[in-house]
Amino acid sequence: MSLVDLTSMAKPNKEIRGKILTKLGGIELINCFQCLKCTSGCTAFKLLELAPHEVVKLVKLGFVEGLITSEIIWTCATCLKCTERCPQKASPYHVIMALRNLAVEQGAKIPEAYLKAVSQILETGLLQTTRKVTTKEMETFDRKRLGLPEIKYPTKTFKTVLLKVLEGALA
Amino acid sequence: MKVAVFWGCRILTSQYAYEISVRQVLPQLGVELVDLREMHCCGDIIKSINTFATTYMAARIMALAGETGLTDLLVPCSRCHFTISETRYLLERNEKLREKVDALLEEEGLEYPPEIKIWHVIDLLHDAVGLNLIKRKVKRSLESLKLASHIGCQTIRPSAIGRVDSPEMPQKLDKLIEALGARSLEYPEKLDCCGAILMFSHPEAALTLAGSKIKALQELGVDGLIDSCPACHMMFDENQESAARVVGGRLSLPVLYYTQLLGIAMGIDIEKLGLHLNQTPVEKILEKLTQLKEEAHDGTETRSKKERRV
Repeated sequence: MSLVDLTSMAKPNKEIRGKILTKLGGIELINCFQCLKCTSGCTAFKLLELAPHEVVKLVKLGFVEGLITSEIIWTCATCLKCTERCPQKASPYHVIMALRNLAVEQGAKIPEAYLKAVSQILETGLLQTTRKVTTKEMETFDRKRLGLPEIKYPTKTFKTVLLKVLEGALA
Repeated sequence: MKVAVFWGCRILTSQYAYEISVRQVLPQLGVELVDLREMHCCGDIIKSINTFATTYMAARIMALAGETGLTDLLVPCSRCHFTISETRYLLERNEKLREKVDALLEEEGLEYPPEIKIWHVIDLLHDAVGLNLIKRKVKRSLESLKLASHIGCQTIRPSAIGRVDSPEMPQKLDKLIEALGARSLEYPEKLDCCGAILMFSHPEAALTLAGSKIKALQELGVDGLIDSCPACHMMFDENQESAARVVGGRLSLPVLYYTQLLGIAMGIDIEKLGLHLNQTPVEKILEKLTQLKEEAHDGTETRSKKERRV
């Protein structure tokens, strides 16, 4: 379903729109006058058809449900050009992040790598496990062989608090 | 100058060349590095899952930095730098958010530091160390090298929260490159994103972004690409071969961290700079430098060769 279909077939939902606006804190979408500066410079527009101005418009009109189940919100490259260039300070980047958060809360399907990253962080504190690097001469190096100090992983309390925060968001 | 350092996941777990070269170069320029008591994710990737969790994680990093008693925090990763800077910006303007975060930190006896300046390698070198000192430390001029800079999107945007350089016309990395004698080329794709974050959801698009930029630079005939972010470096160096498969053609552009380039110019042993870890043909740059040095020793012959090159 394209974004255009969404406006013709779906019904606006003010309640769910309110949730996004709350998440955005001080960012005002009402000032967006669809100048398209965001989409003109969007890194993901050419390759993945992300049109940030449409995302902002749909949220403004209350068509949020279709967006949070759509893959489109996961195509943002987070280059922050839209945030920088928006003359109305509507920051599509932050709108997209709020939509992603809501997608998680509502149990929508999200890219697996993100879920993996979360469980990895809850396990070790870091995004990924340490890797061995193989050089062009096929020699393998790890931190120890390179003379780098051992990683000081976070305490258990950090993970406990983080888990509490994440679960609180889902509750 | 003494600074606390927060490395971030990518540097600690795979981008070792950055950590090695930063640890090697900065102390020689009078910057002492103090590691934090603990290292954990800054919250960057969690922002898509739960923005408040990110705020807590980044605030905890600042609290750990505050524990060192230092008021300067170096964050060499551009993504971490943005996450931590944005969190600081929010916590200083939103009392309610600050109270919530303070309560969580208190559970571990941590405290959000009242004063902390967040540095990236680029502004630390450009603004604090200064171009003059860097120029004085150059033992091996990189004259003759034509390089391109990639500063990284999250290093420079959004300017409203205070970033390292201009959001549309970044010049600091270029000036740092030129301080070593090399030339830093202005090119149309300079602000194009490396695509790193899309590796999570759309790897092919991510590799297209990185590959297109490298292809464009190769066509311009530059000797190398200089970056200063582990995510960008992963795309341009580690993933260059995969990117070539996606965009077609042969890609073999040397990609170096700025701190590696600086180390070369300062005459530091290349192994101490982690150059053997780069996956791109960085030896091409070294060969070009050695070649020139030999020519310089050759006297008369050098002049004719130089003339021919011009």
